[in-house]
Amino acid sequence: MSAAVPPKSESFYGAAATRIPRFMIFLSLLFTGAAWLRFGGRTAMGLACGCTIAYLNFHWLEQAIARLAERVTSTGHAPSTRSVLGRFLLRYLLMALGGYAIFSLSPGSLYGLLAGLFLPVAGIACEAVYELYVALARGV
Amino acid sequence: MRSTLSYIFMTMAVLCFAIPALAQGGETSHAVNWVAIAAGFSMAIASAICGLGQGKATAAAMEGLARNPAARPGIQLGLIIGLAFIESLALYTLVIIFVKVK
Repeated sequence: MSAAVPPKSESFYGAAATRIPRFMIFLSLLFTGAAWLRFGGRTAMGLACGCTIAYLNFHWLEQAIARLAERVTSTGHAPSTRSVLGRFLLRYLLMALGGYAIFSLSPGSLYGLLAGLFLPVAGIACEAVYELYVALARGV
Repeated sequence: MRSTLSYIFMTMAVLCFAIPALAQGGETSHAVNWVAIAAGFSMAIASAICGLGQGKATAAAMEGLARNPAARPGIQLGLIIGLAFIESLALYTLVIIFVKVK
């Protein structure tokens, strides 16, 4: 009896979790460059800082959910609830610290930071457009 | 016991509103910054409802995972995207507050 091979579409949609962070990195570089040209260095630095915080936030969210799922399904090494919750709350602390640092050091780049925090939404939107394109073009 | 507690909290709520109502007006009163108050309330409401939404989404996803562990990749991805979107809603409120209050 052969092992069940996942269908093509299932593997394609399952890879979305790896594609979204790549889209986020690409978009952060693109937006930072565009902000540097349009608004100057301070705003671009704020945007880069916001993008970094948003990327780390998304990465730790992914990790926290994976650990939570491991704990629920009892597969692999089940982490302690304290470490899962700690990482989940650490994300908010990092965002608050980044916002405070930008606000106290360079208030002019605060709007760049706030714009950078929306990077996951832009990454997910890009993934949605890509999936739509693949669904229409290749019929996956 | 529960009804007594509810009466106590209701009385405290009425007392909170009674103090400004009986305060001296006229030349000593200052203009109230309603934008800042509204901003605080809107952030609190947005955070509370986003927190409730995240809690409900996580609970439903974990329940689904416990019932059907084989569906883990799909549920996990949906939960990540859902939580990211719910968090962004609170960020939208924060941005609007920054734009309006500044």
